[in-house]
Amino acid sequence: MILEARNICKSYGSLEVLKNVTIECHKGKIYGLIGANGAGKTTLFRILLGLIKQNSGSIAIDSEGIKPIGGIVEKPALYGYLSAFGNLKVFAQIQRLKLTKELFNESMHQVGLSPERKDAVKNYSLGMKQRLGLAIALLNNPDCIVLDEPFSGLDPMGISALHSLIKKLSRENQITIIISSHIVSELADLCDMLYVLYDGEIIKSGSAARLLKENVTTFKISGKNLEMSEVLKNVDAVFMNKSVLVSPKESTISEVLQRLIEEGVEVTSCIPQTDLKALFGREGV
Amino acid sequence: MISLIRSEIYKIGKQSKTLYALAAILIIEGFVIMSAYYQGAGIIDLLLDNLKESFEFQGNLLNGNLIIYLILNSLWFHVPLILMIIISGFLTSEYKDKTIETVMLQPVSKLNFILSKYIVSIIFTLLIVLILAVTTFLISYWIFGYGDLVVYLDGLNFFESEDASYRLINAFLSGTITMVFFSVVSLTLAVILKDATKTWIVAAIFLICSNLLLKIDFNNEIINELFFSKLTDSWQYFFYYEVPYSSIYFKNILLLAYSILVMVIGVLIFKRRDIQG
Repeated sequence: MILEARNICKSYGSLEVLKNVTIECHKGKIYGLIGANGAGKTTLFRILLGLIKQNSGSIAIDSEGIKPIGGIVEKPALYGYLSAFGNLKVFAQIQRLKLTKELFNESMHQVGLSPERKDAVKNYSLGMKQRLGLAIALLNNPDCIVLDEPFSGLDPMGISALHSLIKKLSRENQITIIISSHIVSELADLCDMLYVLYDGEIIKSGSAARLLKENVTTFKISGKNLEMSEVLKNVDAVFMNKSVLVSPKESTISEVLQRLIEEGVEVTSCIPQTDLKALFGREGV
Repeated sequence: MISLIRSEIYKIGKQSKTLYALAAILIIEGFVIMSAYYQGAGIIDLLLDNLKESFEFQGNLLNGNLIIYLILNSLWFHVPLILMIIISGFLTSEYKDKTIETVMLQPVSKLNFILSKYIVSIIFTLLIVLILAVTTFLISYWIFGYGDLVVYLDGLNFFESEDASYRLINAFLSGTITMVFFSVVSLTLAVILKDATKTWIVAAIFLICSNLLLKIDFNNEIINELFFSKLTDSWQYFFYYEVPYSSIYFKNILLLAYSILVMVIGVLIFKRRDIQG
């Protein structure tokens, strides 16, 4: 185990933000921390990163490196008046790491940024800042990276590129990555494990695939002639433009699809819809 | 620690506000010189009209030494105010931009980080006062030349040109310690308040109150001798005929002790607090 946070509690006055939170992370795996806004994700990350102190509980990181853990909390905070080189130089220097031209080029290529750009970072897009923030977090090769809402504000291309980068860091560099998000679809195909934080407590944990599957109650079916279907009239179906939301209760989704095909409906897609209320809440715990 | 100090110096060198600070200092200097150039002679004549009938003055009284003395008096308010604004910004801007979080996410101790801020603030203060002093001496002597210095301090005091230069240099050196005190206070205020505007307001109030308290007699010898605001004027003592060196040394050493105390308070508060931008 590379990181273990046990029974973490944090309060601000009478407000309990985290209540006995325990998470365990293994080398090279990607962990997702999901929960609604205000669930306590960022507070937990700040504690893991040592920015704030917990009231009780312990954190153990099994690493002998200079920098056991790195990360980005909320938005990447960079010196806007400095270039990418200037930023990396400052953050390398303070941890007594000499930023050579080779290291700079390597760091920039690792996160998919061009080392040729010389202008101030304030001109960068959010996606580029995220990447530069990640390059800074990766200085001195930490064993674990914590990324708080890394996809927030990124366009679909940016999200896709960051997905690939995170997977690459996990697989090729064996870095443990912990990501938070309140958008489940972003984490669904990225994470090995999920922790669900609700009102400061971990209420669910397990493999991402299992947790998401358990909380899928509705499917979005698209196809031709859906409105003519007799099968859909017998299940709870909500018709939308060229698609329908189906929540089968007495039969499985495969049975519904089979009957639709037998009816002559041309199904073009069937996308499971995670029940966020069930996943984020205490229902089914 | 050295690497932290170097990175702080690098950041300061790259920020435009450093140039603004320098420009502000030089603009104040320029205004004093310009107004002296156009109106100074008339004012001096008006002030010394009666005395000129009884005494003989060597050279022009509107000379470089008088201009340096006038600029030196910006150490009362203008220079410390600019220093307090800029130096508190070294930390408040890190809170505003949340870069302090990115710094503390690296393997850096909070103690070393905040100590490096204090050390760089002191270096910056020394540099600003040095630039002010050097440019003041060069420009003033170049434009207005040398001459006897007349100063009003509990009455009119006159100093010969060479003696005046010596006293002015010492006054700048002594004033530097006062500037360091105000700089350290401003950084500690930034540690406490985090927000730039709040820190500027409190720093300005601190400076004004400090100058007001300096003039108040507390009717208590210990307070009058030891209270911090009573220690910030030692640089003026060089313009008494008999320079009270022991008093200057005492005041400066005590002011340095106050600076260290304020710095220790700032360090302790910073270390205890969570890092949140």
